[in-house]
Amino acid sequence: MSIINYVNKEVQFKIVYYGPALCGKTTNLTYIHGHVGDASRGELVSLATAADRTLFFDFLPLNAVAVQGFRTRFQLYTVPGQVVYNATRQLVLRSIDGVVFVADSQWDKMQENVESFHNLRDNLALQGMDLSRIPYVLQYNKRDIPRSAPVHYLEYILNNQPVRMPSFESVATTGAGVFATLNAVSRLLLAKLVCESEEAADASKARAAATAVTTPLGIASAQLNGNQS
Amino acid sequence: MQSLLADFLDKSQATFSLVIDRGGAILCQQGSLSGSIDFSILAALAAGSFAATKELAARLGEPEFNTLHHQGKHANILVSTVDDDVVLMTVFGPETTVGLVKFYAVSTVSYLAALLKEARTSRDSQVAISKSDLDTVGNIFPQ
Repeated sequence: MSIINYVNKEVQFKIVYYGPALCGKTTNLTYIHGHVGDASRGELVSLATAADRTLFFDFLPLNAVAVQGFRTRFQLYTVPGQVVYNATRQLVLRSIDGVVFVADSQWDKMQENVESFHNLRDNLALQGMDLSRIPYVLQYNKRDIPRSAPVHYLEYILNNQPVRMPSFESVATTGAGVFATLNAVSRLLLAKLVCESEEAADASKARAAATAVTTPLGIASAQLNGNQS
Repeated sequence: MQSLLADFLDKSQATFSLVIDRGGAILCQQGSLSGSIDFSILAALAAGSFAATKELAARLGEPEFNTLHHQGKHANILVSTVDDDVVLMTVFGPETTVGLVKFYAVSTVSYLAALLKEARTSRDSQVAISKSDLDTVGNIFPQ
């Protein structure tokens, strides 16, 4: 759920990078951290094992453009991809706004990709959230590897639905596709905020109109009661 | 919320406090800390820590641990539950005691919970951003 601070004129979004172990989630954040200006980012925090495997999460706060005077802040998280850390993945998914699902393009990782995607769906359901109602994009990483599966196959196993989500090819180690992915999910989140804001404004107008209709009757009945007494 | 936290820090002699949602976002902050610390990182770590501890409590059959106290040599942290979605993190030094901070935290979280409940039911505020505003925004992050 995005946090809107009307005093500071700031909107915060939480984006989680999800995917199987060693697919490139942390690499995405590391690349972003190294290629965003100092004024636009905070420190990259990694809670990892001695072997540099994500243990709890990686965290990177980003400041982005201001829209209509509201600064936008994006908090990027990764989850640990290893199967044994499912409980901690559930904790990181709390109050998320958007997801980047990073898939490993290697042929022998296809089953892990699918299992991780289902795991994402299941973990969101445990928190009462539905993936189909959350902005998410797909990133097909490691496109530089010779044994990578074709994109249309990845689309078939991960994006085979009536309304397809945006997907991007990437090589996170070189940065190819990293910012395209991030920009896409960020725009989806802003668009969702605008839609929700417009719906709330419409609902507010409808309530105001309903109140205006009843008021003249209310005044009339008060006058009647005053005359009768 | 700001004035509530200011009053809490004044009475408890704590240094700094953050109201954080369970996702790690900062809802409100008051006070200061020495050095250049990114408060968003503190919030993310505190939320993660609290979430992990809450899960630990559940595995032990406890509904939750209402407060967490981390004691250091020069700085201490107290994390208190406000409601299901929000925690209050307080940083304090040797000039006060954990007992005093906990004492005032109890009433503070109660008032905070009431404020948040009122804020959640308020339907008046919207963000004045339209679809056409989004069209004028290029890449949110330059490539």
